[in-house]
Amino acid sequence: MFAFLLAAVLAQAPVAPGEPGTPPDAGVPEASPEVPISALPPATHELFRRIEGRVAQVRIIERRSGTRSSIGSAFFVSAAGHAVTNYHVVSDVVIHPEDYTAELVLRGGGEPVPVRLVDVDVVHDLAVIQMATPVADFFALEDREPPQGARLFAMGNPRDLGTTIVEGTYNGLIQDALYERLHFSGAINPGMSGGPTLTGEGRVVGVNVATMGNQVGFLVPVRFARDLLARALQAKEPDAQALLDTVRAQLMDNQQRLTERLLEAPLPRHTLGSYRVPGRWSPFLKCWGDTPHDPEVPYTVTNYQCSSEEDIYVSSNHRTGVVAFLHQYATSQKLGALRFSALYSALFSQDPDAVEATRQDVTNYRCKSEFVDVDGLPVRAALCLRAYRKFPGLYDVVLRAATLNAGTSGVDTSLTLAGFTAENGRRIARRYLEALSWTK
Amino acid sequence: MDEVIFLEVLEGDIVHARHRLERFPASVGRAYTNDVILDDPKVSAEHLRIERREDGALVLRDVGSHNGTYRVEPWAPLAELELAPDTRVAVGDTVLRFRARNHPVEDTVIGQAPTAPRARVFERPRTFSLALLALLCASLLEEYLSNYGRTDWGELMVALVAPLGLILLWAGGWSVASRIARRQFHYRAHATIATLVLLCGLVLPVLLTLVGFSLGVGSGLPLLHHAAFLGLMGWGLYWHLRYVTRWDPRRLVRVLTVVTLVFGVLSRADDLLGNESFSEALDFPRTLLPPAFRVAGARPVEDFFEDTSSLQEQVDALAREE
Repeated sequence: MFAFLLAAVLAQAPVAPGEPGTPPDAGVPEASPEVPISALPPATHELFRRIEGRVAQVRIIERRSGTRSSIGSAFFVSAAGHAVTNYHVVSDVVIHPEDYTAELVLRGGGEPVPVRLVDVDVVHDLAVIQMATPVADFFALEDREPPQGARLFAMGNPRDLGTTIVEGTYNGLIQDALYERLHFSGAINPGMSGGPTLTGEGRVVGVNVATMGNQVGFLVPVRFARDLLARALQAKEPDAQALLDTVRAQLMDNQQRLTERLLEAPLPRHTLGSYRVPGRWSPFLKCWGDTPHDPEVPYTVTNYQCSSEEDIYVSSNHRTGVVAFLHQYATSQKLGALRFSALYSALFSQDPDAVEATRQDVTNYRCKSEFVDVDGLPVRAALCLRAYRKFPGLYDVVLRAATLNAGTSGVDTSLTLAGFTAENGRRIARRYLEALSWTK
Repeated sequence: MDEVIFLEVLEGDIVHARHRLERFPASVGRAYTNDVILDDPKVSAEHLRIERREDGALVLRDVGSHNGTYRVEPWAPLAELELAPDTRVAVGDTVLRFRARNHPVEDTVIGQAPTAPRARVFERPRTFSLALLALLCASLLEEYLSNYGRTDWGELMVALVAPLGLILLWAGGWSVASRIARRQFHYRAHATIATLVLLCGLVLPVLLTLVGFSLGVGSGLPLLHHAAFLGLMGWGLYWHLRYVTRWDPRRLVRVLTVVTLVFGVLSRADDLLGNESFSEALDFPRTLLPPAFRVAGARPVEDFFEDTSSLQEQVDALAREE
């Protein structure tokens, strides 16, 4: 799982702006190189000078301490002072509006300017903020895809070190992704979240969102930012509840889209020993498997797990939009039925890692457990549900099941769905359970 | 006082020795020349003497003891004291009490209809050895069956030695209590009770788990485990205490019922008050046993997913709580 770029509070003084008084105009570069400009790749320093005024630092201010609790970047996209950033930069303002506010620190210094949150796109991790004063210089968002390998420049304020420009290359959409992201091969670091990534001509390609380290960075495609801006320009003054409702509606739409995507696709079966289990249901699921080989133990357990490996950031400790499942096929030639059942019970007692959430976000789980007949195959199944506190109607659903047809072999399986309606969770879980079968 | 009096050597409130004095004067001291000999090192060889005065009253007189003689209530040194019924006198570390023949005694305690004494099952020598054997077998079997890795001889050894050691200590504690309260150790009876409690403690949960799995019992199982544990605790305490106190069995049952229930309620106070701490754990039975153990029928998939609305209502109610 990749890391989001939101920097925690950094214990260092803010870096003074590098060259105060640099004109932030978009005019012709002043430097006059001796070689013709057209013969060279765009000079980074010229690009930087041309657009540095369009990028600003976002600070999230915690009201009681009166100081910043986290930072990110943003870039201006309208004359009316609209700026695009990441949802995860401003999530505290959405989730706890009574405790947090946002402000912008503009290039060229000066007092931070308070901003209001206009609209969010939680699924694609975008937000539009607006400052009260108009801006002269901003990016026009247009959607044109650069060729793979094109040189790109990411901008932002990494770790509060000051506005920075980083070179890298464009590598297109991440393949088989659940949530569309661009792959940028260049260093992006915490604090650059919400900053733009540009072509050499200064055209925005995407919004910095996450990194996996080692020059593997991720961007939100610019078209989502453009769509969000279009909505934001029409938006009226939203209150805190309206923003939460927006987030809820977007999560609802997203889970509906995911559900339809899963239920439309046939569920492929994967063979584990003498069992057939749900396999790679959709391309966005990444599957892995392994059997630990230990000659000392009198049994073998084969793992097969699939996961979207992506999630939606709701708040710093709440993720959603996850589909993951795990099968454990246990078998033994040496153990008797009773000792095998001790092993099998121990496997069944271990639950997969829960999707991250705290007491403020979700309730405790409630489960029902029964013996279920899956087309002749008896299983012990449990269905567990927990409700989202801030987004009524959404649930985390966990299905656990273990086959009970044989004395010394069995499949223990678990399905985790985060952020679905109960009805959709039930439909997916049912389809999943029905895909279990025994081939002998 | 009377012609005949009793000199009682007290130990706390209990009479340690009682001497009948008929002839006066009577002498009291540590030497063998005395009528009443006290083995108290602080008592003089010739300590005191009890004489009858001419008017018939009995008088206690110190005969030049080293450490003196004291009246207890009120505390005062004395050289001579006219004895009244129930007079108490301290010499050295010993307290003496004087009573006449006409001293009243309390009414007879009404006992139950006497029955022939019947040896309880715990007191039979064979019960202990059988129970211990059963316990060791159960412990060994449990250890063997619950270990699905390579056979671990060390663990099996522990499974044998641990219950043995536990019972020796457990019975030892109760025996000391019995000895203090009733002057008899009753070691075997306590050891047998301990063994039986431990055996039930081992077998009962397994049995409950088995039945729970067979019948597909879900949510009630932890409660049943708790009740079984409380029952066992009450039973064990009852029989141990029967060998410690002289209480009426019915009274003991009443007291223990209250104690056990209070303990049960307190240990479940969090649940009963509805204080549930946040947890990501999934709470459902995890027992899986071989197919032959399953008695309850399996429901069709459709039914299983049909009635999940109550589940949804439960978590919705939780979400509304705050």
